[in-house]
Amino acid sequence: MSMHKRILLAKMGLDCHDTGIVTVANILRNAGHEVVYLGLHNFADRVVKTALEEDVDAIGISFLSGQHMTQMRRLIEQMQREGLRVPVFCGGVIPEDDVQALKDMGVADVLLPGLLSDEVAHRVDRLIAREAA
Amino acid sequence: MSDTLLQKPSGKARDYEEQVFETGAGIEIKPLYEPADAGDFDVERDLGVPGEYPFTRGPYPGMYRERIWTRRFQVGFGSPQETNERIKYLHGQGANGFVITIDLPTSYGFDSDDPIGDGEVGVTGVPISTLDDMETLYDGFGPDAVSYALSIRPPVSSVTLAMLAAVAERKGVPFDKVIGTQQNDPFYQMSGGPLQTVTQFFPLDGTLRLCVDNIEFISKNMPRLNWMVTNGYNLRETGVNAIQDGAFTLGHAFDIFRRARERGLDIDLFPRRASFFLSCSIDFFEEIAKFRAMRRLYARTMREEFGATNPECWRLRFSVQSAGNTLTRQQPQVNVIRATVEAMAAVFGGAQSIHLCSYDEAHGLPTEESSRMALRTQQVIAYESGITKTVDPLGGSFYVESLTNDMETAIRKQLAEIDERGGMIACIREGWLERQINRERVRNQDDIDSGRRNLVGVNRFRIAPDEEIPIKTHKIQADVWGARRGEYLRQYRADRDPQAWADAMAHIDRAWKAGENMVPVLMNAVKNKVTMGECHEAMRQAQSWSFR
Repeated sequence: MSMHKRILLAKMGLDCHDTGIVTVANILRNAGHEVVYLGLHNFADRVVKTALEEDVDAIGISFLSGQHMTQMRRLIEQMQREGLRVPVFCGGVIPEDDVQALKDMGVADVLLPGLLSDEVAHRVDRLIAREAA
Repeated sequence: MSDTLLQKPSGKARDYEEQVFETGAGIEIKPLYEPADAGDFDVERDLGVPGEYPFTRGPYPGMYRERIWTRRFQVGFGSPQETNERIKYLHGQGANGFVITIDLPTSYGFDSDDPIGDGEVGVTGVPISTLDDMETLYDGFGPDAVSYALSIRPPVSSVTLAMLAAVAERKGVPFDKVIGTQQNDPFYQMSGGPLQTVTQFFPLDGTLRLCVDNIEFISKNMPRLNWMVTNGYNLRETGVNAIQDGAFTLGHAFDIFRRARERGLDIDLFPRRASFFLSCSIDFFEEIAKFRAMRRLYARTMREEFGATNPECWRLRFSVQSAGNTLTRQQPQVNVIRATVEAMAAVFGGAQSIHLCSYDEAHGLPTEESSRMALRTQQVIAYESGITKTVDPLGGSFYVESLTNDMETAIRKQLAEIDERGGMIACIREGWLERQINRERVRNQDDIDSGRRNLVGVNRFRIAPDEEIPIKTHKIQADVWGARRGEYLRQYRADRDPQAWADAMAHIDRAWKAGENMVPVLMNAVKNKVTMGECHEAMRQAQSWSFR
């Protein structure tokens, strides 16, 4: 089975810290995935619309400035409205207490700072495989 | 070996078992430095005395013997009321300098009730939508009594400057007594890297015009207000190295200076209140050399290229924040040590003001506890270590002087390339800067993956997650804050004179099109209860520009 996947990455809300997501995009491309990177300042409708148009296998969103709960809730609600069923992961500066809350909301994995490239690639492979199983 | 990385089948870490003898920016480090390593170094010409050209040893003669650097408190959350209460508390504890962080909606010129800012109101800073909000921030103090450094950029800084002027007027404080800082950096305020964040919600040419409008207004009316901080910090945080940091930051300042000169402003007047906001990273000697080299290069450029004859315009002054991007989520307590190393480098480098990142940087926004630890770290250095008791204690060190020379040469070379490309703003516009940043990001991750760069707790000396000592984390109440602000703004708009408001909006349109300095126009607008978001919308419309 080929692990080559299409992955949509985006920043949501007004936060513009993009070092993390640009680095993750590079890691995933090096791991053989195709990455569609939407850039900054996206809102749920645009992310979901693009995910549908590009027929992606997963969506990854990055946060640094505390908007992860609000924006991920918006994203998941919009996905439900549009009937989009792909795994969603997020990453960035996210307090420990919020990690479980995000998972309860349906987020497949939360990638926190300090991971090496292999670990990032492995976690993303695993969450996509888990959804497919 | 307990190093878990060794057991990782695909782990590339530890490819570099050898030490790497070069600085973070790739300058080779020799085993020993001797007098000859300083090259054609001339003590009088290249070092001088502190407080005099070329300022290598420090911007002031007595440095910390006369005055310890400002230990600024960073405040701003929830609402103007809560932020003002916190400032009052800290003021009572002896603080008189504050960095006011602004929430993201305000940073982009949106009111707290604009749906675009849902979930972000009051989170990373204080929201400021109205003149009353600004006045609330100054409740109990005049703008001549406490120094607020507003982390804000144009176009928004034109509105906050107008609000500050209006607050001074209401409180009867003459403009020439107003102190503080408006950061006013058009590019780097928003985390540095992507141009998209600067151009998404306001046209770039308009932003640059407002930047110079602010400089003009301040240099003519508010001689004690720092009118611009070139924000090298956010730029460095994107991952560029110390040489690029120095070159991109100075190149940017010089580009803005040229624009101000083209406006007819006096090169012997307007740079006096210019200052820089810089990062201090973990590579101890390289950072010290960077600060010394930047100070020297700035002095030389201002005197020789810009032809400034006023010594105050040769003097580079800077505030420092320790590098958030050197801190780890793993074993967060260790970050206190990193911040200590960085703070000491900033002190040896001659900083005027220091703010240290809190140890919980990679977990969330700082707590009171972690902020206090960051302050205590500085106080130990300032009051116990004794390293402040003589000026430029590392001056004359063969290594430090050699590295300072190397940094100056390397920064100068990079600056020449930037000039060939038409200046820093052209480099930003055409995407050159972003390409440089992205290349460094890849390199940084590769170096951490391979172990070429050591990161304790990440690629070396890891512990299992259950061995981590838990820390408190900051709680945000974005929904509560947003709802309260929404209600406040509904009331504010209901209580205003619609005709006065409409006249002020029309005035913005006319003045923009006529090319007037916008600060007095915006001052009139905020006094007639035009909100932050409305000021921006009127300026966008005057440029026939929309993003929605």
